[in-house]
Formats: sequence, structure tokens, C-alpha cells
Amino acid sequence: MSDRILGAACVVASAGMAWSAQGYAAAISYEPVGPRAFPLLLAGLLAIGGLWLIARPALRGVSPYRSVPLRATLLAAGAVAVYAALFEALGFTLATAVMAVPLGLVFGGTLKQALAAGAGLGVALYFLFDKALDVVLPTGVLSFLLGGR
Amino acid sequence: MDVLQHLLAGFGVALTPTNLAIAAIGALIGTVVGLLPGLGPINGVAILMPLAFAMKLPPEASLILLAAVYIGCEYGGRISSILLNVPGDAGAIMTALDGYPMARQGLGGVALSISAWSSFVGSLIATIGIVLFAPLLASWALSFGPAEYFALMCFAFACITGLMGDAPMKACIAAVIGLSLSCVGLDSNSGVYRFTGGDVHLSDGIQFVVVVIGVFSISEILLMLEQHHSSDGMITQTGRKLFNLREMAHTWWGTVRSSVVGFIVGVLPGAGATIASAITYSMEKRLTDTEGTFGKGDIRGVAAPEAANNSAATGSFVPMLTLGVPGSGTTAVMVGALALYNITPGPALFTQQPTLVWGLIASLFVANVILLFINIPMVGLFTKMLRVPNWILVPGILAVSAVGVYAVHATTFDLLLMTGLGVAGWLLRKQGVPMAPLILGFVLGDMMEQNLRRALSITNGDASILVESPISIGLWLGAFAMVAVPPLLRLLQRHRLTPPVAA
Repeated sequence: MSDRILGAACVVASAGMAWSAQGYAAAISYEPVGPRAFPLLLAGLLAIGGLWLIARPALRGVSPYRSVPLRATLLAAGAVAVYAALFEALGFTLATAVMAVPLGLVFGGTLKQALAAGAGLGVALYFLFDKALDVVLPTGVLSFLLGGR
Repeated sequence: MDVLQHLLAGFGVALTPTNLAIAAIGALIGTVVGLLPGLGPINGVAILMPLAFAMKLPPEASLILLAAVYIGCEYGGRISSILLNVPGDAGAIMTALDGYPMARQGLGGVALSISAWSSFVGSLIATIGIVLFAPLLASWALSFGPAEYFALMCFAFACITGLMGDAPMKACIAAVIGLSLSCVGLDSNSGVYRFTGGDVHLSDGIQFVVVVIGVFSISEILLMLEQHHSSDGMITQTGRKLFNLREMAHTWWGTVRSSVVGFIVGVLPGAGATIASAITYSMEKRLTDTEGTFGKGDIRGVAAPEAANNSAATGSFVPMLTLGVPGSGTTAVMVGALALYNITPGPALFTQQPTLVWGLIASLFVANVILLFINIPMVGLFTKMLRVPNWILVPGILAVSAVGVYAVHATTFDLLLMTGLGVAGWLLRKQGVPMAPLILGFVLGDMMEQNLRRALSITNGDASILVESPISIGLWLGAFAMVAVPPLLRLLQRHRLTPPVAA
């Protein structure tokens, strides 16, 4: 069944692609194939693939999502999203320390272990990358301590 | 000899103290990434690629680093296969079949050392193969026009989807998604912005690093939640540390055979270390297993797949370096790394950037020697890495991944896009859609469209140019065979297996 949902998603996506690619035309064209052809070709292929998945008889068997620990996965994905959003604002060190708590917990650590891992990683990786390897990282709210941006 | 001269110059590049140190660091990181279950060469190379760029390493140094990581992963995967019965990367699945029984019989040290040795032989033979064949292929490919290139890329896609086994249609969809993602941004020929939704962050396209780290690293973190590997079952009594001469002689020809087969499989686009080790394992079983000891701890069953996965990984550099068309997910990531430096791999690379190409080839020799030396005596140190708990490891992976993404453009937008692509990649992977064709599509997308448009410009829109030259006709036929033959073979096999019904 879930293959059919994937197929439907492909068809919808290809329709969206084709619809927005409609308007892609060069102001002055000096080549026979413009910016529109390739995306339209891809949209066509994607639609064929999607229809194939819809038309094919659904496979009976265990759903691939049966084994997914739903709460842990949501928590981990949420941790990644929050980390991405706060990476610049909080600064690398603090954002890493915050992110490591939920992620450490879903991967089997205790609260104390996760807090320690986050703080350790945040500080150690900051010094490794920013100071030793010259990869500039945001310092965010800790900029008064670490200097920089 | 032209080639020898180039190779000597290459060693001049590879043996500078900095590059030697970089190869050694890459070898160490690669072994660790390879032995950790869940992390494979693609993850390792993807995470390190932007970091190498941000550290302002010159292109040859960063390519040396990534190559050492790639080969190192193929070495490292065997450690967890043998000691834990959990393959550290996909290429090491077959190694567990005989390696783990050997370890349980108290021969873990022998299995580890013979597999390191056969990995070394495999990589060495494949690197010699690169030296012999890559320049020939490159000079032949110089005559390719845009039509041939377009056909070649279609051939690469046919290989990677045809060889994906159970889900060719899903591999196709993955490739199309990758190609579509590569369309985002400014179309340089016409100045039209495509699929940007008016967002300025997308106007020069989606960063390669964001796609790779999203679909491999982030989705891997979510997938890791389902598999709980503990190091509790690890075999710690490994007995004798080194194989003896008799064991070496016993495995020698199997190792050489598997290395050659692995190299050929590796050169073919689409097939890679995983397929090579599976093919050679069953080949050796058929050829030499007269007493039925394969699967019960036969040393030849450890040596053969390890030789093959290393030589296939090394061999996959050939299409990337000579044609600019990567044959595996990992080499596709390396093409993306070169793109960061504005270098487009292809046949001209051998003449335009000889120090880069030959420095890389020479460093494959160097890294291989380093790997042999760190993998036999220091194996105990690496097994300790298996005891690092996931609650440190996973936040660490995420932090390093985010640093890599942030290093390229320094925007929050890229990090959020990474998250979105990661979740989408997780859904697709749960659905059985492979990610390697997606990356290949993303890397090749621009080149493919440009070559198609250039070819059609030559004939003013007449598509017959695509099938004009013998080379492109051959490539189209090859592509067709790659797609059509595997399902036909499966059909025939099913016919043979089902007993004929009495008519």
C-alpha cells in the first residue's frame, strides 16, 4: 500500500514540476532546446515511474514502518530540526549541547550522560574545528566568551 | 615510458610530508568509519568533503584525503564483520559468513590479519589496473562529443538501476529525483531561474553538500534508531595475531582471482564493492570448496570477498577519473568535491591536471601501504571504537555533519534544507528507494542537460544525432542490455526452477 502512496506522491510532484516548468522560456533564444525541455522530460519520467508504482499490485507483507520506533524517530528528527534552526543563533557550542540531550536520550543514554556528552562535544568540536582546523563556526550567545561573531 | 614518468611525478605529490600525513589521517578515519556499523564510505566521504574544503586544503590534498577514507572504509568494514558478525559497511557482508565462525573458533586474529592482507593485495592490483587502463580509456574518451556523453550518462544510469536488483523502477525514480534537484537554480544558458520559488537562497542551486549530508547522514541517524547493535557479543579472544605462510599460500590464488574480478566489477558503473564481494564469494565457493567448509570458517571465504571489495572500490575511480562519470555513490560524492574546486573530471583531466590525477593514483599506493600497517598491529585499538556508546557517537555525527554544511555557505537556510532532505531521504529509504542513483543524478544532472542541449544545437534540434556515431549506438545498446537482461535472466531462472507441469 505504501508503494502506492509513494507513486501518488511522484505523480503529484511531477505535475507540480510540469506546471511550474511551463513558464520557463528564454527571453532571447539562440539554441533549439531551451530551459524548459529537460525539466519537462524529467517530469514525464517521474510521472511514468509514479504511475507504475500505483498500477503494480500492492505487495503483501510486513510494512517497512512496522519496526519504526515512532516517538524516538519524531524526537530525533525534531532535535535535528531545532539544531538546524538554532545553530547560528545560539552558536555551535550551545546548540550542540542542547541537541545532544534529546538525541542522546533516544540512543540509550541517561540524562546525565547526554548532558555531559553534549557539553563535551560542543566545546571539544568547537576548539577542534574553529581554532585548530580553521573552519569558522558561529559563537552565538557565547560570543562574549569565545570571541568572534 | 610516459606513464611511468607521470607516476613518478605523482609520487612526488603523494610523498610530500603534508600529503603523507593527510593520507595517514584519512586512512585512520576511514578505518574507523568503516568499522562502525551504519556508517559506510559514502557517509565518511560526504561528511569530510566540505570540511576539507573549509580547511582550505588544495584540491589534490583533499582528494587524497577522501580516497584514503574510501579505501580505509573497505578495510575497516571487515573488523566488525569478523568480531561482531555485524558488517561495518555493505561491502563486508560476505566477510562475516566465514570471518565470524573463524573468530568463534579462536582464530579471530588470523581472520583479521589475512583479510587485511587480501584487502591490500586487492587494492594494489586494482591500483595497478588504474595505471595501466585509465590513461588508455581517457585518451579514447577524448574523442567523445556531446551526443556520446549523453549516451554514456544514460548508460551509467542504466547500469546503476539495472544492477540494483529488486527495485529497478525505484532506482529510476531516485535518479530522476536527483536530476530534478539539480535543475533548481539559475539556468546559465538562458538566465531563467528554475524551481526556486523566488527564494534567493536557491538562486544558484542546491548545494551538493546539503543534498549528500541530508540524504545520507541525517537519514542514517533516523535509520540507526531501529537497529540496536551492542558490542556485548564481541569476541575478544582473538588468538594468534598473524597468519602463517601456509595460510597465505592457501588463500593466494583466490585472492588474486577475486582482485581481478573485483576490479572489473568496480570499473563498471553501478556495480560496486557490495556486488563484487558477493560475486567472488560464490565464485570461490564453486571453484575451491570441495569439502563444504565455506560458511563454517574457511579462511579462503574471508580472503576472497575482502580482496574483491577493496579492488572494486579502487576500480571505481576509473570511470570517475577518465570519463567524469562516477560509477558509484562514493565516487559521485568525490566528483561533487571536485566541483567545489571548480574542477570538472573527465578525459581532459589527465592532460590538464596531471599532478592532481597522478598524485591521487600514487596516493592510492601510499594509503594502501599505510592501511596495511595500521590494520594488522593496531587492530585492537580499532575494536575499542566499537565500544563508543551511541549517545556520544550520534550527536557527534550530527554535529560534524552540520559543521560541514555550514562551512560552505554559512547560512541557516542550508541547515534547514539539510533537515528537510534528511527526513525525505529517510522516507524514501524506508520505502526501498536507493540513494546512490539519486546522488548520481544530482551530480550528473547539469552535465547531462548541457550535453543534450549542445548535441541538439549542433543539428538544430534534430534528435537523430544522439544515435549517429558507432560509440553512442554501442552505449545505447549497452544501456538497453543493462536494463533488459537482468529481469530476463530472473525470468529464465524462475522457469528453470519451477518443475515443468505435466501437460
